Amino acid sequence: MSILPANPLREGIANRLSPEPCTLVIFGATGDLTHRKLIPALYNLAAEGALPPAITIIGFARREKSTEQFRKELEEATRKFSRTPVNDELWEQFASSIIYHQSPFDDAAGYASLAKEMEEADRQRGTAGNRLYYLAVAPDQFPVILSHLRESRLSTAAAGSWARVIVEKPFGKDLKSAQLLNSLVSEVFPERDTYRIDHYLGKETAQNIMVMRFANSIFESIWDNNHISHVQITAAEPLGVEGRAGYYDTSGAMRDMIQNHLLQLLTLTAMEPPTSLSADAIRDEKVKVLRSLRPLCGEDVFKHVVRAQYTAGLINGQAVPGYREADGVPKDSTTETYVALQVNIDNWRWAGVPFFIRTAKRMPKGGTEIAITFKGVPRVLFNQGSEVLDENVLVIRIQPDEGVSLRMSAKMPGSSLRIEPVKMDFHYGTSFGKATPEAYERLLLDAMSGDATLFARRDEVEEAWTFVDGIEDAWKTRSDDLAFHTAGSWGPAEAADLAARHGVTWRRM
Amino acid sequence: MSFTPGIPVPIGAIERELGRLWEESGESKTRASMINLAIYNEKEGSLERNSAIINGIAGDHAMRAILIQADPKAEGSNAEAWITMHCYVRGAQGGQVCSEQVAFQLEGQAARSLQSVVFSHLDSDLPLALWWQADFHPPIDGKLWRWVDRLLFDSRHWKNPKEQFDLVGQIAGLAETRTVLCDLNWARSLPVRQALAGIFDTPGTLPELQLIESLHLDHAPSHRTTALLLVGWLADRLGWKLTATGDHAHFLDSKGKTVTATLKETEGASISRLRLTSESSTFEVAREIGSDLYVTTAEGKALLPVNRMVRAPKEETKEILLAELARGGRHPLYMKAVKAIHDLL
Repeated sequence: MSILPANPLREGIANRLSPEPCTLVIFGATGDLTHRKLIPALYNLAAEGALPPAITIIGFARREKSTEQFRKELEEATRKFSRTPVNDELWEQFASSIIYHQSPFDDAAGYASLAKEMEEADRQRGTAGNRLYYLAVAPDQFPVILSHLRESRLSTAAAGSWARVIVEKPFGKDLKSAQLLNSLVSEVFPERDTYRIDHYLGKETAQNIMVMRFANSIFESIWDNNHISHVQITAAEPLGVEGRAGYYDTSGAMRDMIQNHLLQLLTLTAMEPPTSLSADAIRDEKVKVLRSLRPLCGEDVFKHVVRAQYTAGLINGQAVPGYREADGVPKDSTTETYVALQVNIDNWRWAGVPFFIRTAKRMPKGGTEIAITFKGVPRVLFNQGSEVLDENVLVIRIQPDEGVSLRMSAKMPGSSLRIEPVKMDFHYGTSFGKATPEAYERLLLDAMSGDATLFARRDEVEEAWTFVDGIEDAWKTRSDDLAFHTAGSWGPAEAADLAARHGVTWRRM
Repeated sequence: MSFTPGIPVPIGAIERELGRLWEESGESKTRASMINLAIYNEKEGSLERNSAIINGIAGDHAMRAILIQADPKAEGSNAEAWITMHCYVRGAQGGQVCSEQVAFQLEGQAARSLQSVVFSHLDSDLPLALWWQADFHPPIDGKLWRWVDRLLFDSRHWKNPKEQFDLVGQIAGLAETRTVLCDLNWARSLPVRQALAGIFDTPGTLPELQLIESLHLDHAPSHRTTALLLVGWLADRLGWKLTATGDHAHFLDSKGKTVTATLKETEGASISRLRLTSESSTFEVAREIGSDLYVTTAEGKALLPVNRMVRAPKEETKEILLAELARGGRHPLYMKAVKAIHDLL
């Protein structure tokens, strides 16, 4: 919520809330996320004048280094990862707002000196007592950081100011740990000041799902079980674990992708129109979808979910090792790198419409998309005999090559009646030449502005875990269901069978 | 070599010839369009100049471009047309994305019949942005503007701005139109407005806005209207009422105190300096000659010093046009700004 009175010069200039002056404290400031994503995003925002002038960025980390050294490292990273070229003068000015704060996370003295530094920033730079804490650390570090923030009273904003926290995924590894984590966070920060980042929600195309559905009358009127036969949501990547084996092997595709990113896409696809565009109105509708998911547990899991692991194969003609041969992965690992599941949403709109969700590593091609397949036309007129017409398919491509396509049937020119599928295709890249901002730019700006729309709420996270835990629990009872597929293939035969039971074929992307 | 705006085609066969052009161009080219952008000009050589502008922006904003060079005062009636495409490589696969361009040279009756001659070649169902590069002439014809979703013009070039702003006001007031007025001069001032607004995003500086006593603007030669629009914007936003014109314009603020506005012509960016002064503080947005940065500063006894830089966009017309097309939306403060400085025009 904005505390400043409105700046009359802002009216008519931007159609979004203005970020407020604040100190941004990044815990885990020497990590990959800070270097690859956060600082390049902040630099681009600063260069565009989108950040408040008084912003101060404090990198909090354990390693010994000076502010100068820290700034230098960040400059190198920003030159490498920024979406726009780095201007020397702009960087110089931006870097002057960055301070390195060396301290172990469990040292009370480190928080006391952090408090002094922030008070100094309030005095010297006008950060107005506003604090934004970014936990860019592994979840096992959350408790110690949060408890120190509380004990040092840094989580409590002074009157007229605010204190917010941004939490990076994973939000727990199951419902119990998520609840524990959420309780921990909520003991320190109220829900309205808690921003759980799922960077998929910051992507332009994810934001466009709601616009497409609710700003176009033609889609919403056919967006139900009367017209839609099934929905496929796919996130595929050609990469393997790439140095993340330690984390990934304890997580797996279900926790790494389905619980957060893909269930978020599912909720945006299936939600009812919200009553307003406020953060809570939208999130209320998303939560209802999660609550309507038919639970999968026990033997049902093995009927509706396929888990698999990739073995050695070829990606783009290059030999790649199997998952168990990757560095850091136990030779007998049963962690899934592929998941395909069929879910049902038990509400009036979606009764009887199967949703298929699939994610995998080492696929032949990378991409994330939502494909809505409509019901076929009646078997009269053009749909008689042995020739069955292809159904209409609306595909929303989240990444890469963001866009929307619609497959429809058309008569081929000629004296005979031959009907073939044609594709109407909209590419963001061809219509909008403008480079889209990185998801983190939008999300950081939103957190500074107090807009939580694109962040996951506590109940969303916990409902998603409730659903996923049923599956994980069933998997713990067996291991013989783990299937295997060759790297560079589109998945195991079991997944094809799962879809085939509903008369569906997985899409080739 | 003399310029030709494309392949000459009969006006009745433009769509057919465009189709043929696509067929011949092969499958590696993708036809893309978000809007119809028509550009109307009455000067010789405008087709060449505007074709260059389209070539410069089509890669970022796919469109069907319709260029019109008209001589409505000529006798008789004559109409000629040419078609071409502007293509750009996009994506990792190296495919080309192309925008179509139709160029018209119209004389006499044909030039006075834009609706039938030109607007029948729009890409249907896409919005029409009409960039009017000529003076507006009374009486304002509501039937013409009814077709137009966005009317672009550049008040910087007007020799008689008062008359032209009045005519624009009449277009805005037409009951049968929902045309969005887009003055590129207003768009040109946007980065300065953004930079200035940013100074007052902090609690320390915001109250000072109500205490401003003087406003000073340095503007490039031929950018007086750009500067005046900025003055009008500030006057509207801060509740100033114009009381005296001349070298120094005087306004009364909401508390009845006088605010002095001074404009100075100087070489450099369209607006190279905007300074607001209160009794104890100074706020400034400045852009040095040749710099691609704005430097904003706030100084005063009770203020924390603010000194920051933000990117300043290029000031070429095509960049401003592109920014305006990409931004979209209405400009609710524009006519208010014009009204606030009407007597200074």
